[in-house]
Parts: sequence; structure tokens; C-alpha cells
Amino acid sequence: MKESVIRQLLFDFFEGKTTSIQRKMIEEWLAESPNEELFYRYLDEWENEHPQFGPDQEIALDRFRSAMAGGNGTGPHRAGPEAERTSRLGQWLWLAASIAVITMGIAFQKQILYKSLESGPGKMVTYRLSEGTEVLLNANSTLLIPRFGFLGGDREVQLDGEAEFKVKHTRSHDRFVVKMGDRYRIEVLGTEFVAYSRARGKRVFLKEGKVKLGLPEGRQLYMKPGNLFVSGRNGSYRMTAPADTRPYTAWKEQTFYFNNTLLSDVAQQIGEQFGTEVRIPDTLLAQRRIGGIYKADQVDDLLQILSELMQIEIIQKEDHIELAIPKP
Amino acid sequence: MTAFPLNPLEDDFPGKHPENHDHTRSETIVPDDEWLLRRQFAEDPEKACELLFRRYYVNLCNHTIRFVHSREVAEDIVSEIFTAFWQNQTFLHVTTSYRAYLYKSVRHRAYNHLKWQVRFQHSADEPVHLSESPSPHEALQYSELHQKIELIVRELPAQCRRAYLLKRVEGKKYDEIALEMKISAKAVEALVSRALSRLRKELSAHWVLFIMLFFC
Repeated sequence: MKESVIRQLLFDFFEGKTTSIQRKMIEEWLAESPNEELFYRYLDEWENEHPQFGPDQEIALDRFRSAMAGGNGTGPHRAGPEAERTSRLGQWLWLAASIAVITMGIAFQKQILYKSLESGPGKMVTYRLSEGTEVLLNANSTLLIPRFGFLGGDREVQLDGEAEFKVKHTRSHDRFVVKMGDRYRIEVLGTEFVAYSRARGKRVFLKEGKVKLGLPEGRQLYMKPGNLFVSGRNGSYRMTAPADTRPYTAWKEQTFYFNNTLLSDVAQQIGEQFGTEVRIPDTLLAQRRIGGIYKADQVDDLLQILSELMQIEIIQKEDHIELAIPKP
Repeated sequence: MTAFPLNPLEDDFPGKHPENHDHTRSETIVPDDEWLLRRQFAEDPEKACELLFRRYYVNLCNHTIRFVHSREVAEDIVSEIFTAFWQNQTFLHVTTSYRAYLYKSVRHRAYNHLKWQVRFQHSADEPVHLSESPSPHEALQYSELHQKIELIVRELPAQCRRAYLLKRVEGKKYDEIALEMKISAKAVEALVSRALSRLRKELSAHWVLFIMLFFC
């Protein structure tokens, strides 16, 4: 096939304008190995001619440079006199550190340096990290930990979901840092706390010891035992000392703790815990409130309780569960 | 929308100077336009990575956003690919062109992100499988996937589409969009979530097919 023909054909294909017969032709053409290179070359040309938006390349390049210079020191460029390298590295590190505060430094190296511990829907898992810290991971949660163990200095992990940490105090007083995304972070030496980081927001409940919270925009906050931190919208937050702490630790006993809780909120908690989507189309019903402590290992247990207690109907739909007021 | 920067690299790329034109080309029919870049990698990998970044970053972002519909996510994915490329010293091992490697990687990452977003499973952190080279059929399916996404969004009701694009692509806040569209923030939220659930539903249907073709 002539190069100009295939180029036109591919451009049409990228735009979704080819017939199924032409598609077959492209597939056969692509099966010849040198043509794969051409495919990506034309893809690149096509993207060049059909811009979607204008990313700021200079800012991104700056970040990339500091990721190359800083990072974990596995970078390949190790030539040159030692002294010069150290000072240059120092400079870069300083730059990298300051930029990393603003950006999401950790995300860059995540895939190489971290492995993930996961708990499925409705299942809690306990982990003991290499340096002795105990983590009880609530259902539907993920904890990223360093793949090669903690190498001295800060012990950093990243949480998506909810977990209780019993942090081991090390002899060299290394900090334990929990990153929670959106630039929220918890720093501690040795203590017990419950961290919650899901789509709905961030929450930290401190049981023992003392922790430092890093908030977006570089703000910092110290927490005392019994304190509860809850993030709000747009970087706002609330810090309280709740008299009743059970709502924040109930999940450990596979228990749901509701205290004048909106049914819509209950539905969200079910989604977080069991990965089952619960919808309440009736807004009046969604605003009804419920109280009490309920033990539930499975989503059905809790739904059955709700159904009996509130006299509502549970309807199993194709991909979700619907709560409704039974028709008389 | 800002004007898109064209790749300025060709100008300061040494290959454009006449004294470098006598290099031997490789045996394949495809002209090897990355020969100088490869030589740069042998001499000064850091500099070469920068050149590579300048050459492909914008185009890769443009490609990625077709799948993920978020500027931020698109830029993050592309940046992560480049960082891994440097840290894993991938440039020593690639057997294809850098371009083919980069496009395959971002497509795979974008696909994983989408899979995670649509099915709510935590697979976004899966490392990129370098060895996983798509078959011709799969390579074409990637393109068909982003066309499908485009089609779904294009068929959304006008208000719904506008709210979705402002929120996802532009990354604006609900109250900013509310002001712009002269409706309440709650209404914006409802429009966006309607768009998302439509996307989820239609892609899931598409997905069954896609996954089957992909992994069977």
C-alpha cells in the first residue's frame, strides 16, 4: 500500500470514519511488523494536528527534571566528579523537595517503589509492616507501602480507604507518614489512630499519642488524643473532641454505628464498606434518620435490619440495590 | 482554551543540521527518525530524556485526555510514564522506537485508569506492563474506545454535557460552574453525576465486549 494512502486511511480511522472493511485492511497491514512503527508515527502526527488542549509543557518539564534529579537515587546518571555531583544533587534535591510539597511528589515514583496491600469488599485485613507497625485495613481499602521495606528516614505509606494504625516507635525516632491524597498527610512517631481517606473526604481520629497533620497548601495541625479531624470542601476542616468515639472505630467490630444518621449517608457507608451501590430515588426517604449499633458481616445483614426497622422495601436491580417505601 | 504549542524540537534538534545528514539509516523500510535521539541517550541520558519529553509530552497528553477526559489526570499519567522511563532506565531496553513505546504505555495506563473509574476497582496503580505489546487488533481497539467515549459524551443532553466538560475537563468547581451556567450548585452536581452514570452504563455494556476481545 502506498504511504500516502495508508496515512489517509489511518487518519480516517483515528477519527472513526472508516468502514469495517477498511478496518480489516488496516488490521492486516498492521500485522506486518515494521508497520507498527508507522502506526504510532501517524498516531503522533494525527495528535499533533488535532490538539485537545494546551498542557503547559514548561511547568511539566520542570517537574520532570526535579523528578529525575531527586527521586530515590536510582537515576542512572552517575558520572562526573563526586564533589560536583553532590552539590548539584543537593541543589536539585532542595528544588525537588520544595516542588514536591506543591505537587504530588510521591505519585511519580509510586508504581516502582510501592506495593499495594488491599482489602476487598466487606473484608478487613490485618498487616504487620516490616518495622513492627500494625495496620488494620477496613474493607474496600488500599495501602501502598514501600516495595523494598523502609530504608531509614521517614516511613511513608499511602492510604486510600480506611485503616487503624498502631505505629511502632523506632529507636532512631523515624517519623511514620500516612499520605491520604489531595496533599493531606499524617506524621507521627509512635501512636494509635484511625485514618479515613475516601471519595467523600478525609478523617483522622487520634486514639493515643500525638500526630501532626499536613494539610493542602502547606498548613499544619497538631492533634491530641481524642481529637477528630474532618476535612470539608475547598480545604476547610473541622477539629473536634467527640464525646462518643464509637462511630469512628465501629468498623473494627464489623459494626455500623448510626446516631441520627441520614439514610442517604447509610447508603454511602454501605457502598464504601461492601462495594455495593445503594440508591434511594425517593428524596423524602433519603432524608429519614436512623440510630443504633448494628453488626453486619455482609451487606444483606444490614439491609435486612434496615428493611425491618424502617419498613422499607429492598429491591435488587441489575447493578445496584434500591431502597423504597412499599406501595400500599 | 489556550493555543496549542507545536513541537519546537525540530529546530534545536541536531539532526536538522547538514553535517549530521550522512548517518546510515537502519534496514527497515520505516525511516528511523529517532536515530539521533538514541545517540543522545548513549551520551547523556538526562539531556536525552528532556528532549524526548519536549518532543512528545504535549501530543501524548492530547492522546491521553481522549480516554480520561481530565486535563489533570492526562498530564499526571504522561508525567508518570516519563518518570518511570527515566527511573527504570527503560531507554536501555526498548526495542521499538521511543515513540511507539510511549504511546503504548500511555494508552495502557489511560485504559487502566478508565477501567478503574468505570468499574470502581482499584487497579490504577498497576505498573505498566512493558512487555504487553498490543496486537494489531488491540491497538485499533484503543482508538475505538476513545471514539466510543466521545460518542457517549456527544449524545448527552446539552446542559448535561456542558456541566460534565466544565467539571471534568476544565476541572472547575461546582459553584464556579453554577455561576457560569446560572443554575444552582446542586443542579450542576446532579448533571455531572448523570453524565458519569451514563458513561459508566454505556461503557460497561461496551466493556463486556472490549474485555472479552482483550483478554480472551
